[in-house]
Amino acid sequence: MATTEERLRKIVDDNLEIEGRATGTPLNTERNFADAGVPSPDIVAFWKLVNEEFGVDISAEQFAELLTPSDLIAHLDAA
Amino acid sequence: MPAPVPPPWWRPFRTLDGAAVTHVDLAPDAAREAAALEWLDGDERERWEQYPYAGPRRQFLLCRAALRALLGEELGCANGDLAFPTAEHGKPSATVRGEPAPVSFNVSHSGGHGLIALAPEGRLGIDVEELAPRRNLGLLMDGVLSEAEKGELAALRGDERLRLRRFFRLWTMKEAVLKAHGRGLPLDATTFEIPPGMRHGATRGRLRLPQEPGVTWQLDELGTERFAAALARDVPCESR
Repeated sequence: MATTEERLRKIVDDNLEIEGRATGTPLNTERNFADAGVPSPDIVAFWKLVNEEFGVDISAEQFAELLTPSDLIAHLDAA
Repeated sequence: MPAPVPPPWWRPFRTLDGAAVTHVDLAPDAAREAAALEWLDGDERERWEQYPYAGPRRQFLLCRAALRALLGEELGCANGDLAFPTAEHGKPSATVRGEPAPVSFNVSHSGGHGLIALAPEGRLGIDVEELAPRRNLGLLMDGVLSEAEKGELAALRGDERLRLRRFFRLWTMKEAVLKAHGRGLPLDATTFEIPPGMRHGATRGRLRLPQEPGVTWQLDELGTERFAAALARDVPCESR
């Protein structure tokens, strides 16, 4: 069964449109998306897709407080 | 022999009530990128090196060098006197020799386009989005639009180009206001609406945010054929 990190990476690979990111590139789990320069439309799309994929209802404000993929993984694994 | 210095890759775009908006060309260009790197201080070079993706790395570099040039000219200071401590939630401010710079500014970039807004005072936010097709347009609409705004865009089904343009027109107006407020997306943008007049073609309007109801924001729509863009500024009390 795929890990939470693998499922998140698949969302990024399949949906986000970040210039210079090759499909399959591992997520830097300790760096938040905004600091990595990920465009805001991609961050919003990622937020909506995470809610769909994991069947959760993380609010926009709550999502913004989950600063890194590592924080998000911990939140999803605890849900 | 040193490489020739390229001409500036930024140019005046619009002036609105004392706020100057500059367009920055962010197309890949090795000579410009080498020249831009010379403008950055040590902290900025470290940040530039740490960007994991080529697009955001280039956008930051070319925009930050342009911002330094514009602020140096506006404030009459040397490039080495400028620094950019990052405020809470990531909205940057500038200092000159360690003192807060008497200027307001905001920066946005998307694809090959950057915009820098400068004003003598007040809170301002700017946003630009390149008009490139998006595979997740429906998700983005769900993420930032109110039910009324979504309904209006749903009526455009069948003309994806127009729907994309109208969507990013709304998106940039919302993000400009949220950036002026100090947070930017993804603060919940579904909780407020763009004024109906602006949703139907007006290029200037005013609104308030439920997150800060005591402040009125003036919005100006600045889009072109290539990108959607908007500027938001707080309205001084005596003008309300």
